[in-house]
Amino acid sequence: MSTTAFPNRARVDALAKVRGEAKFAADLVLPRTLYAMTVPATIAKGSLSSLPVEAALRVPGVVRVLTPEDFPAPPPYSEDGPPPPPTLETIIAYRGQPVALVIAETLEAAIEGAEVIRPTYVAEAFACVMESAGAQRQPADEVAFGDAPAALSGAAATVESTYDSPTQHHNPLELIATVAVWEDGALLIHESTQASSLVKGAVAGALRLDPARVHVRGATMGGSFGQKAVQRQTALVARAAILTGRPVKLVQPRAQIFHTATYRARTRHQIRIGADADGKIVGVQHHVEQEQSPNGYFAVSEYHRDVIRMYGIRNYLGTGADIRLDRQDSGYMRGTHPQPAFFAFESAIDELAHKTNRDPVEFRLANDTRVDPQNGHPLSSRFLNECLREGARRFGWSRRSPVPGSMTASDGSLVGWGMACGIYQSATTPAIATLRIDARGHTRFAISGHEMGQGMRTAIASVLIQDLDIDPERLEIALGDTRAAPQHMTAGSWGTNSVVPAAMQAAQRMRAAVADLLDGRQVSGNLHRKLASIRRPFLQVEVTTVGPGQDQAALETLRQGGFAVAEAVYPEFSTFSYSAHFLEVRIEPRTRRIRVPRVVSIADCGRVISPRTAHSQVYGGVIWGLSHALREATEIDPRYGGYLNEDLADYVVPVNADIGEIEIGLIDQPDPLANPAGVKGLGQVSMVGISAAVANAVFHATGRRIRELPIRIEHLL
Amino acid sequence: MRPFTYIRPATPQEAVGAFAEAGEGARFIAGGTTLYDLMKLTIERPAHLIDVTAVRGLDRIEMDGDRLRFGANAAMSAVAGDPTIGRDYPVLSEALWKAASQQLRNMATVGGNLLQRTRCMYFRNGGGGIYPCNKREPGSGCAAIGGLDRGQAVLGTSEACTAVSPGDWPVALVAMDASIEVLGPAGSRSLPVGDLYRLPGDTPHLEFTLGPGEMITAITVPKTPAGRLSTYHKIRDRESYAFALTSAAVALEMSGDRVEGARIALGGVATRPWRASEAEEVLIGHLLTPELALAAGQAAFRDARPGRHNSFKTELGARTITDALIIAAGRGRT
Repeated sequence: MSTTAFPNRARVDALAKVRGEAKFAADLVLPRTLYAMTVPATIAKGSLSSLPVEAALRVPGVVRVLTPEDFPAPPPYSEDGPPPPPTLETIIAYRGQPVALVIAETLEAAIEGAEVIRPTYVAEAFACVMESAGAQRQPADEVAFGDAPAALSGAAATVESTYDSPTQHHNPLELIATVAVWEDGALLIHESTQASSLVKGAVAGALRLDPARVHVRGATMGGSFGQKAVQRQTALVARAAILTGRPVKLVQPRAQIFHTATYRARTRHQIRIGADADGKIVGVQHHVEQEQSPNGYFAVSEYHRDVIRMYGIRNYLGTGADIRLDRQDSGYMRGTHPQPAFFAFESAIDELAHKTNRDPVEFRLANDTRVDPQNGHPLSSRFLNECLREGARRFGWSRRSPVPGSMTASDGSLVGWGMACGIYQSATTPAIATLRIDARGHTRFAISGHEMGQGMRTAIASVLIQDLDIDPERLEIALGDTRAAPQHMTAGSWGTNSVVPAAMQAAQRMRAAVADLLDGRQVSGNLHRKLASIRRPFLQVEVTTVGPGQDQAALETLRQGGFAVAEAVYPEFSTFSYSAHFLEVRIEPRTRRIRVPRVVSIADCGRVISPRTAHSQVYGGVIWGLSHALREATEIDPRYGGYLNEDLADYVVPVNADIGEIEIGLIDQPDPLANPAGVKGLGQVSMVGISAAVANAVFHATGRRIRELPIRIEHLL
Repeated sequence: MRPFTYIRPATPQEAVGAFAEAGEGARFIAGGTTLYDLMKLTIERPAHLIDVTAVRGLDRIEMDGDRLRFGANAAMSAVAGDPTIGRDYPVLSEALWKAASQQLRNMATVGGNLLQRTRCMYFRNGGGGIYPCNKREPGSGCAAIGGLDRGQAVLGTSEACTAVSPGDWPVALVAMDASIEVLGPAGSRSLPVGDLYRLPGDTPHLEFTLGPGEMITAITVPKTPAGRLSTYHKIRDRESYAFALTSAAVALEMSGDRVEGARIALGGVATRPWRASEAEEVLIGHLLTPELALAAGQAAFRDARPGRHNSFKTELGARTITDALIIAAGRGRT
């Protein structure tokens, strides 16, 4: 466990990015590249009755049009995990589903070819939102301990409300881009992805290829946030490369991405929560319903996992249902399940604190827990109350006038001070890493992991530079490349805390190997010079690490490119990260525009390895939380299916002018049990709870409790 | 994306001649900030583009005589940044500053801006094959009516179309009684900016009153002291880079606190830049109080016909006018 804080190093890829030198997947231009464009289905459900391609083939430059006939049948059902995304099919499951892929010598020709293809369909009735006739409601497994209904019936005070969180799309600036190359019987895929091994497996599965002949190279990413996992487009582009024998590139237009990529499912949370006369929470009932694709695997029960551990709740009844709809799969999106769940839960906490006349900070402090409420195991580290106290101090919370509507600014604006907490599991994946230092000054570290801008590469560099006397200018960190190391999906805030311990162990082993080699000889210079002096061209070490409770089997799953996450409710303890957010809203007296001039956000993510990028993570999380609360919603017209506001003009995200002062604090106390580095996850927890803090501040400013997102002007007129 | 021809004439006469020669499917293009978008969305499918940005002398800003005169090719950012306009006609300057982004304002021209097409999501989105739209395909119907109509107009709508006229600049110009100069195959003419725009009626695909091959060459604004007591107040879903939910261009002539003259035009709420004469009448001759300002705002929306999700625009619009009046009047006190 790291006993001292890490220095604030610059982001290792910052210069390359600001100079435009970093190469994203869409930047890749290979000789003889062909360009692809998909033809999206215009119906929401049904089947293709004809797919005439002649018009497209007449467009000058169009080389080929791929149709469902160009693809093998889907692989048989396997229990090993979700099947690969379908390729081109004649059955239409959602509007925007690709039905053909036009391949051309230029992008312009590919677009024109795609535009002139006019398939005909047999349309069927469909259901695309919760309220649609024909939406199938499918109850989910219960998550329960204690006896919540009984506890609530004896509570001194209870509140019960329903909270709505809308469909949202990730919309990273970078579009989804794939370049596939078929050469000497092997497929090399360049893609912007946070799951290169899953892409490899999915493409091999969909196209019936030997996985050993499929390689995936994750490019520099321009944001991902859960969107860039496994895409339907990859196997299509790969097939086109195989059939044409030339590199094929597809950069999917944003309007199509809305219809093919995953998104945050719309959810509705009913929460009943009660406290005793001393202000202790006695029980919670939480029913959640989410919109879900017909075969989507996105588990409803996960909305409960983090809520259960937020406070010392002894009685919990979590229920839920999937509402099955004719849509593409929803999926992970920053803060995934806790994000909407905590808008609901931390709003309900605020409502209960208000009803019982308690300060919302004091109320939370008094409901702390030292053990995992579900199983009684210890929490490996928990500095939630430290986050609360530090945030309250920095924000000046003690100057808050508790009565709603009692604070106004000199320009007549209503002032609201609100706060809320967040929590996210700190899961772990196994890692296999190779560290090689050579006598010519070069160091290469290869490991499973994807740099999405979150700073994983900088965190690894921080460790290696601190622990090894190497040339930092010539340190190469290979990530996301299935040829360099077995890859695991990077998501769920398990990235840094899974790779940093491996980097530390590799450095330690390297130092030992060097010592063995030198065998007591005094050789001057850095490690490269030492190797040169003793005429060793290079020295290489390999290490493996696993999460708490994992064994060799997890490493084997990693080698197979599978999913090997140790969820944070570990066998002997549970590890979660925490955050506390404080913010001020100002609401115009007449036109009711809501502004957020300042935010204080404090996080407990264990030991901070890379302060610079950790702070950036929290800035991003806070800003996206504000966006979740005040800006973003994907609009679906139930008469047509699909997504109406399918571009960045109509899908409203914040601009710089929307963002006020954001003050970040990190507790920086190492977790003693989770891993030898003492690191916990940060990416997700930094966002969880912000939207509730906004709603709570709006209530404090106006006395109006808004239980649906985004909160807009019309809610407050 | 379909092939098209492209030429860059050097004089207004050549541009108009080229348009006539090109015939069907010709479009003038200036900054391209709307047309290229609409071409990518396959809504506009021009066969010939006549780029007027090389036409000489069309980007001048002139302030001699009794009118301000903006060449149609002047960049939005050039007019927005003109210090005299900013001081004497803040309504014009603010309408430009609060539109688009700096990059777009550098490209887009003040003439082209007048011809921006609606941002109605049912018009623009869906790849052209999903949502019926009487603008895009006359007679196909209107998906916005009875649909997700939060952004739609509440004034000037018809059974065929509720699409909002998107601009800010035209709203300010309508408030200031501006005119445009037009050159076409039959020579030049001028008309009030307000007369450039049609109500949708039964023919929402016909948006402008320009004849085939007519091109806007200049915008002129009568000089008035009311320019000083003016503002363009814009309420939107974020602080910048968004179209108006509601906006008000206001210019006042005051005698002390008494309103002698008022010009009010509205954006974000109507199917064309909307002169709110009912609101102006409420004010004339009275002391400007917040209550009176709100009454004027409410008068502007007396005939509003909201849909399912945009009824808030009548209340928000009235309050936007209220704040705009207070801001404009306040400029006389500094």
